Amino acid sequence: MKTLLIGAVAYDAKVVPIWEGMREHFKDVGVDMDFALFSNYERQALSLLQGHIDIAWNTPLAHVQVQRSSEGRTRSLGMRDTDRDFRSKVIAKDSVKTLKELEGKRLAVGSRDSVQARILPLHWLKEQGVDLSRVQIVAFDSDLGKHGDTGRSEYDVLESLEKGTADAGIIGDLVWTQELAAGRVAGRGIQVLATTEPFDHCMFDARPGLENDRIEAFQRALFDMDWDNPKHRRILEMEGLRKWLPAREDGYVKLISALNEQNAWTK
Amino acid sequence: MTGGAAAVHVGALGLGSGLLALVRPVFHRLTEGSVLAVLSENPQVREDLPSWCRLERHEYLGLEVQGSGLDRHLIRRGPHPRWDKSIANPSSLPEVASRFTGLAPRGSWVERGLPSSPFTFLSSATTAPNEASKIYQQGLLAQWDVNRDIPWNEIPRHSPVMEGAVSQIFSFLAENELAALYVPAQYLPLIPPVYVETAQALALQLADEARHIEAFLRRARASFDNKAEEDSGCQTPLSTVSTGRSLLSLFGNHDFIESTFMLSVLGEGTFLDLLSYIEQHSPDRATAEIARRSKLDEARHVHFGLAHVRQALSTDPALFGRLESAVRRRAGDLAGQGVPAPVHDALIVLAAGSDDPRAISQGHLAFGELLIQMRENRIKRLLHAGFSPEQAARLADLHTPNFM
Repeated sequence: MKTLLIGAVAYDAKVVPIWEGMREHFKDVGVDMDFALFSNYERQALSLLQGHIDIAWNTPLAHVQVQRSSEGRTRSLGMRDTDRDFRSKVIAKDSVKTLKELEGKRLAVGSRDSVQARILPLHWLKEQGVDLSRVQIVAFDSDLGKHGDTGRSEYDVLESLEKGTADAGIIGDLVWTQELAAGRVAGRGIQVLATTEPFDHCMFDARPGLENDRIEAFQRALFDMDWDNPKHRRILEMEGLRKWLPAREDGYVKLISALNEQNAWTK
Repeated sequence: MTGGAAAVHVGALGLGSGLLALVRPVFHRLTEGSVLAVLSENPQVREDLPSWCRLERHEYLGLEVQGSGLDRHLIRRGPHPRWDKSIANPSSLPEVASRFTGLAPRGSWVERGLPSSPFTFLSSATTAPNEASKIYQQGLLAQWDVNRDIPWNEIPRHSPVMEGAVSQIFSFLAENELAALYVPAQYLPLIPPVYVETAQALALQLADEARHIEAFLRRARASFDNKAEEDSGCQTPLSTVSTGRSLLSLFGNHDFIESTFMLSVLGEGTFLDLLSYIEQHSPDRATAEIARRSKLDEARHVHFGLAHVRQALSTDPALFGRLESAVRRRAGDLAGQGVPAPVHDALIVLAAGSDDPRAISQGHLAFGELLIQMRENRIKRLLHAGFSPEQAARLADLHTPNFM
């Protein structure tokens, strides 16, 4: 079988050992795979659609974008357990007690291409009746092109609340809970004001026309990874999951409406 | 672990201020699928607990508001980590150590998923003598202080000949102890933590060697007192190729049992007689005391080595042949060597007490008796280890003339 070429975005140095480990595991189960690293999701999406790579490891934004650009001809292959039911948190200092009180206040948000730190929660706030035109948005457009993968903009949001340069902020529940459980938030007077509805996160997308047997080989190797296997465990920990799960599409419906409403699709 | 349901009161604690320290231990005791009620007076927990559950793969079932500000959160326990309980009993040594329990001590559950550890001595029969713990304890009680416990100021001004002999002997002893420090040290990080008593006993043995090196070198240099050879009137100690080759040949072997056998049973065993001889013929009390105290330590090392080898031999008869060929290989490498001349001469002068020819003749006789004594005791120890009388005699003769 022809070598499967998988695209991933190099948002962190650990992406190299992750994919070298994945390649080794694929080889162990008899699937010839190689990877190509991109500097941003836009270039990766384009390469997938042009057939330069077979499969892309996509953010939710890149996922719905390639589906739309290919008119539904890409195929969704699998996701992390942690990609399901992701939520965002609206966090605030004591001065803000309700969502409505965000109006007239400074709201720190993450990068404009971060689904969890900006796109979805802003859409959700609007649905909750918050008049965003009356909210002063403090935007941290850090690491653009990485779609929020680095978490940088979410840490920027936390920091701005601590420093007092914002009254409230938006952050993904993963970063929030990790910071909270590690005791790095306690005593700083920051609380969760609200939690958004759930949405789904990353997805492996196959290019239009990728042969079935190659798709099956990819899925067989992917779902074979086991948390209790030390070799796999190292990769899974770095990639932030315990188990690969089959794809599902329901979790992206809200994102699609957010992008429609914000007119934020890449042309 | 318990099934069914459980409840934990967390008061006003938040997720970031201690709640997890109460919730996680209860979760640990619950079986997968059991329901835990978290009773909380903190409304923030409504936001944070469901997110934590997602992160930890528990199922957040919902919230019942109890009135008077009390929330009852219900959580269904997700899958447990998989625990390896093979070393849960602290007093039971596994016959075969797992490669996948890392540095976890005996008496713990170990989460599965660790990478393979670098420990290679995985059999209790060949790694963990039953006496290890006892020998470690004895060693601890027997530690001594070179500065405090040796009456250094009782070393008189000996004749240059006597002082030169003592200096040569102790320099030679230090050289040997350096080998006794380095050679076993390579095995320390290969002993799995489930056999930690062996590692502890070995570590203490290394500490003993470090102390001996300090004491021996201090005695060897006592007469020089920072003076060069010409000023002290004493010969600078010599380090010969035959000593160096004999000791370096111990580094070429990377088998724990073979090393222990050659170093501790044969080498340090032979040293016991040498140290007795030095103690007996010491020209002063300080020198005798160094020899006496070192000998007590060495006796412990020999005892540990014998216990180690005996236990291994009792479970693996093929080991007799392996040990014999290891000794033969080393003897082959060292063929044609005798007792290093400077050491030979110094030991005779020591026993003679002076360079008077008649005294030297007595010293020569004493030295001859020492060699006989060493051989007889080697045979005794080999018999004790489990060798046949014929094997014991053969191996005793093949041992290096360098003593170690």
